[in-house]
Amino acid sequence: MTFPQIISSPRIVLSALLMLLALLFASPVSAQLPRADGANNIRTSLIAETSAPAPGSDVMLAFVMSPDKGWHGYWENPGDAGIGMTLDWTLPEGVTAGPLRFPVPEPLMISGIMNYVYEGEHAPLVSLSIANTIAPGTRLPIRVRADWLACTDEVCVPESGSFSITLVAGNGAIAADRGQRFDGFRQRLPAPLGAEGTFSVRKDRFRIAIPLPSSASISNPYFFPLTDGVIDYSAPQKVFRDGDRLTIETTAKADGPDEIAGLLKIGPHLGLTLTAKRGKVKAGGRPVGATSGGSGNGGEQASILIMLSALGGAILGGLLLNIMPCVFPILSLKAISLSRAGGDEASARREALAYGAGVILVCVALGALLLALRAAGEEIGWAFQLQDPRIVLFLLLLVTAIALNLAGLFELPSLGGGERLASRGGTGGAFWTGALAAFVATPCTAPFMAAALGTALILPSAAALLVFAGLGLGLALPFLLIGLIPALRNRMPRPGPWMETFRRIMAVPMFLTALALAWLLGQQTGNGGLVWGLGAALLAGLLLWWLGLRQARGGSALALIALPVLALAIAAPALLPMEAGQAKADLAKRGKPDGVLPAEVFSEARLAELRQQGRPVFAYFTADWCITCKANEAAAINRTETATAFASANVAVLEGDWTLRDAEISRFLAAQGRSGVPLYLYYPADGDAQVLPQILTVSTLTALVS
Amino acid sequence: MRKHLLFAAAIALSGLGIGLFASQGEAAIKTGARASNFILTDSNGKSVKLADYRGKTVILEWHNPGCPFVQKHYNSGNMQKTQAHARDMGVVWLTINSGAKGKQGYLEGSDANSLIADQGLKSSHYLFDRQGHVGKAYGATTTPHMFIIGGDGDLIYQGGIDDKPTANPADIARARNHVAAALDEIAAGKAVSVASSRPYGCSVKYAS
Repeated sequence: MTFPQIISSPRIVLSALLMLLALLFASPVSAQLPRADGANNIRTSLIAETSAPAPGSDVMLAFVMSPDKGWHGYWENPGDAGIGMTLDWTLPEGVTAGPLRFPVPEPLMISGIMNYVYEGEHAPLVSLSIANTIAPGTRLPIRVRADWLACTDEVCVPESGSFSITLVAGNGAIAADRGQRFDGFRQRLPAPLGAEGTFSVRKDRFRIAIPLPSSASISNPYFFPLTDGVIDYSAPQKVFRDGDRLTIETTAKADGPDEIAGLLKIGPHLGLTLTAKRGKVKAGGRPVGATSGGSGNGGEQASILIMLSALGGAILGGLLLNIMPCVFPILSLKAISLSRAGGDEASARREALAYGAGVILVCVALGALLLALRAAGEEIGWAFQLQDPRIVLFLLLLVTAIALNLAGLFELPSLGGGERLASRGGTGGAFWTGALAAFVATPCTAPFMAAALGTALILPSAAALLVFAGLGLGLALPFLLIGLIPALRNRMPRPGPWMETFRRIMAVPMFLTALALAWLLGQQTGNGGLVWGLGAALLAGLLLWWLGLRQARGGSALALIALPVLALAIAAPALLPMEAGQAKADLAKRGKPDGVLPAEVFSEARLAELRQQGRPVFAYFTADWCITCKANEAAAINRTETATAFASANVAVLEGDWTLRDAEISRFLAAQGRSGVPLYLYYPADGDAQVLPQILTVSTLTALVS
Repeated sequence: MRKHLLFAAAIALSGLGIGLFASQGEAAIKTGARASNFILTDSNGKSVKLADYRGKTVILEWHNPGCPFVQKHYNSGNMQKTQAHARDMGVVWLTINSGAKGKQGYLEGSDANSLIADQGLKSSHYLFDRQGHVGKAYGATTTPHMFIIGGDGDLIYQGGIDDKPTANPADIARARNHVAAALDEIAAGKAVSVASSRPYGCSVKYAS
């Protein structure tokens, strides 16, 4: 095939085309343009914490990077694409640069490609050590070339900068405002977790277990691997907590090495670095809400699939509703009245459409009400997902009740009026007939409606609404058909006892669902939870049986029985023995705290003051996410023996909480040569500080004062 | 997620027959596994089918002319040289653009032909994958991102063009060109010593 040669002067056209191309590349649609002036889109400057570092000490340098709006820079592991910052130093003799330390990044999904980035101001830090051989007053010219990649959702620009600052060896004094700024930078660095994780790769599933105290609060957790090629960056991560263990599950990329490194993010700018060794990782725990990381597109496809199948299923379900004992007679009467009306096809069509609109509208309104309830529930922290055993138990009770109803154990009260509605004529009336039919049918459609409600609870909002619209469409479909196709009117089967049989048969899949839910509950909560759930189901069954017996005798005690059943459905999941038991077991493992050691908040000033007063001081540094810390506190610090011994020796206790990376504590830890917690220090009344071991016992502490 | 869907499906089935499916996601192809077949249209409007090249070594190169990392290898002539080397060995080289309309690097066929003439591309075909289906099937994340498919149809290399992940053309001389090295090893009847590497560059500008 030859390329059509329509153009006489290809060269002119070629250059015009190239210009067009240049324009095309230079102007990405709706995106931030790279700066025309050639300046960097991530403005970067290099500053030192002090310009007069003391010989024999370290000085912190910060690359302060400010991306323009819409631009981002990359973490050291950039994710699927992109590149982290690299440095090329020119340093005077006696000065050495440490590794570049990056702040905690954010996951950013762009068209299904995961990027680990910073969208706001961020400051990678480098520590320079100044040899003690350098004489005070020596000028130390520091030069560095930095290369980084600046990107928007649309374009990437490699950027670089050459920076030079001159330090003069001095006394290491830090100006207050500069020190504060650096404290802010340091606060955004990840902290070492201080405990090792375990990971496993099986059948393309990557799972990592990280020791994290059950009491540590976390939000939007995400695992950023430092080791490349282990996980599929763009795959969603599922997070579970089980006592003092946090497990993250995602798609594996390859088998990987036997040890990996990474960063666990547990809050805004709050991250913990850790290494993990290959081993066995048990599944399970309480889900913490899956994070896809950023606005994922991967989920959208799934949602569309879910929505399509939900719609199809709902229409089918709505169709089934028509043969339920209380709906079918209405439908059948309506069909007869239509065929009796005879010739007027136009009005029959109108009536059918109006009826359909009425039914669908009521169903969608019902769905909207449910979604509003769900939103309110989410507001107060209910998790509507099957990974939450409480929801599973609730659904187990609901499904059991539905199954028992279908099996005929009890009846829901009839609203009546079906025949009256069906006999009403006219187009305007048809809309309300449809709307009311959806209501009037409630007693026997309730089991199916309830199943739809249950399903909708765990679906995305759009899909949930579709379920209800589909249900309405399905319910209206037979009537629409008999309205539109006259030939069908005389072919309707007669109502009869076969409808009751059908209803009984439908109880079977419902009971099977209950069985599956019970199994799931057992998986999630163990034997105790399973027995709890089955017990609740049994109790609900007995209550409903009692209701059925009363109904059989002609009594109507719905409210009397429905209330306890409802209370049971709410109370049983709420009281499900799950976390409480777990937390207790974890504490028992490391020793239940039987006392509390009164402590003051740590500050260097308070420490100095207490020392001045000649009091012995026990200072401990802890963080909510530090498992060793929490174990030591439970087993050795917060014990009656320790409290008594310290009280009798007049020991002052200072507690430094580093959960949020308090700057003063960071500095204090660094001064002790520590990068993280725990740290236990004992200052005798006279004499130097004593660094205590990382694993404490009661006797280690009481021996200090005996 | 799967368990979640399974049980949602179970409830739905009994009540309403709602089936929910877990999405398969974007599955990349593992090195050593069978490379997925595809049919794409080239810059001259011709359909190109991967399976037609069975028996030959095929290279897939993900391309975006606006990406600085692609420009690093084209402005320096490195990519064209590698292409020429490959073509001399009878290897089929398919340059693929998965850029969606409106995104950086999106090209019409005639624009692509101008670019081919201007920059001296030596690829066998310049293919358009505007829906991104092929790119996502292969797990192409960056431009450039290179794949080598053996004559038996199995994937034998995937990753970067070389081992210097920078935008600096000066690094090319010091880099190991993984694709050229792999082709030489294949020609010598040896196993490919570096069968995968980390790709580097801009993200592929998929539609969504």
